Amino acid sequence: MINAAQKAGNWRRVMGTLAVAVLLEQLPWAGWVIELLPDFVLVGVLFWVLHQPAKVGFGLAFMLGLLADFQDGAVFGQHAIAYVIGVYVVLFLRLRLLQFDPLRQAAQLFPIFLAVQLIVLLVGWLAVTPPVGLGILMPVLGSTVLWYLIALFVRLLHGKGLQDHA
Amino acid sequence: MAAPDQLMFARRLGPTGRLFIWFLIGVACVVADARYHALEGLRSGFSVLIQPLRVAMRAPNDMASELSGFFVRHRQLQQQRDALLAERAQQSLSVNVARELARENAELRGLLQLQTRPGLQVARAAMLYKGYDWFAQRITLDQGAGSGLRGGLPVMDARGLMGQVSRVFPGSSEVTLVSSPQQLTPILVERTGQRGLVAGTGQGRLELRYMPAQTDIRQGDRLLTSGIDRVYPAGLPVARVTRVSRSQSSPYLRVECLPLAGLEHSRAVLVLIAEPQIIQPPASKPAASKPQGGKS
Repeated sequence: MINAAQKAGNWRRVMGTLAVAVLLEQLPWAGWVIELLPDFVLVGVLFWVLHQPAKVGFGLAFMLGLLADFQDGAVFGQHAIAYVIGVYVVLFLRLRLLQFDPLRQAAQLFPIFLAVQLIVLLVGWLAVTPPVGLGILMPVLGSTVLWYLIALFVRLLHGKGLQDHA
Repeated sequence: MAAPDQLMFARRLGPTGRLFIWFLIGVACVVADARYHALEGLRSGFSVLIQPLRVAMRAPNDMASELSGFFVRHRQLQQQRDALLAERAQQSLSVNVARELARENAELRGLLQLQTRPGLQVARAAMLYKGYDWFAQRITLDQGAGSGLRGGLPVMDARGLMGQVSRVFPGSSEVTLVSSPQQLTPILVERTGQRGLVAGTGQGRLELRYMPAQTDIRQGDRLLTSGIDRVYPAGLPVARVTRVSRSQSSPYLRVECLPLAGLEHSRAVLVLIAEPQIIQPPASKPAASKPQGGKS
């Protein structure tokens, strides 16, 4: 499981690449380039989370997310939450991702990047202009409580679970 | 269950627990910022930190343009100078006319006892950075509160209105572009004087809203700021109408416009700093002007 990137990833290198990523984002990109521009910081964070999970984790991702929020003039927390969730997914899939060759790894990361971008949208949407009030989220709580009650009822009625009786 | 030599409780929280904690912190940030605007200090802190980096990262670009400027051909410079001289001759003509009109206007306003228009002061700024957000199109300028910028000031380039200053930091400021979604600009159609509202669509285009179906508006009409909002001075060019279409489902025309300013590529911009206008009800008739007084 020890690979080249893991051996090479000492603190200086991790911080150096992340600093370069931040600097690259400060360039005055414009025109069609900006449409295709990767999120350098996110790529850097997820790369080091994959290869050096002991060094780069939630805290750093959160801070860099706040920086991204500042850069886009967005509400603080949008990118921070999205980056943290991205880190979680990569940690969750870490052993699986490390087994793939670069092409497949990139293909596996595509949905993660997409999810991060969509979470930015979702958080901003809820924070800035929710189409109706946030009260529409309340049924989530209700459903959870109802689930608990049903599960409790089933357990009381049948003992441990239903699968044995099927 | 657990082996005797194994720890019953892991000392560190698992990833799910840590995700949950950071998620809660994130939600707290969102609420503090969106609801209570409590994180503006953090934002100016970031701006102070990032500003020198941005200036430094712009340096190679500036140097490249300096170098390419050095190697420009002499003949080309001459041609440009001739073109500029011709343009200046033409413009000095219209400046004379404008000066005459301004004098006449001032006299007429004096006769009619109208308020004179506030004098405009201009701050030059350069675009430093373009943000990329789902909800607004913003650019960052390299001038801030230090050069007298305030929130709400109009920003122009040589061709037209670019947008409005939305956040001001000590050494930089954020401008919301006219093409940003939900950014409204009150305009009038130059040809007919019809007033209206343009809204950004978020894709570099503008939309003229709420024009009744029988409105006289054509492709190619220029839209200028109307000045009735007391945010933008009157007469700044904003956009040109590119398409007018009628929809079956709406009583209004669908009017698409293209902003005149180079929103994507203008590097040098002007910020118009107008003195804040305080509307005071005239002293002679305080009772009649009461409803207007509260709306300044």
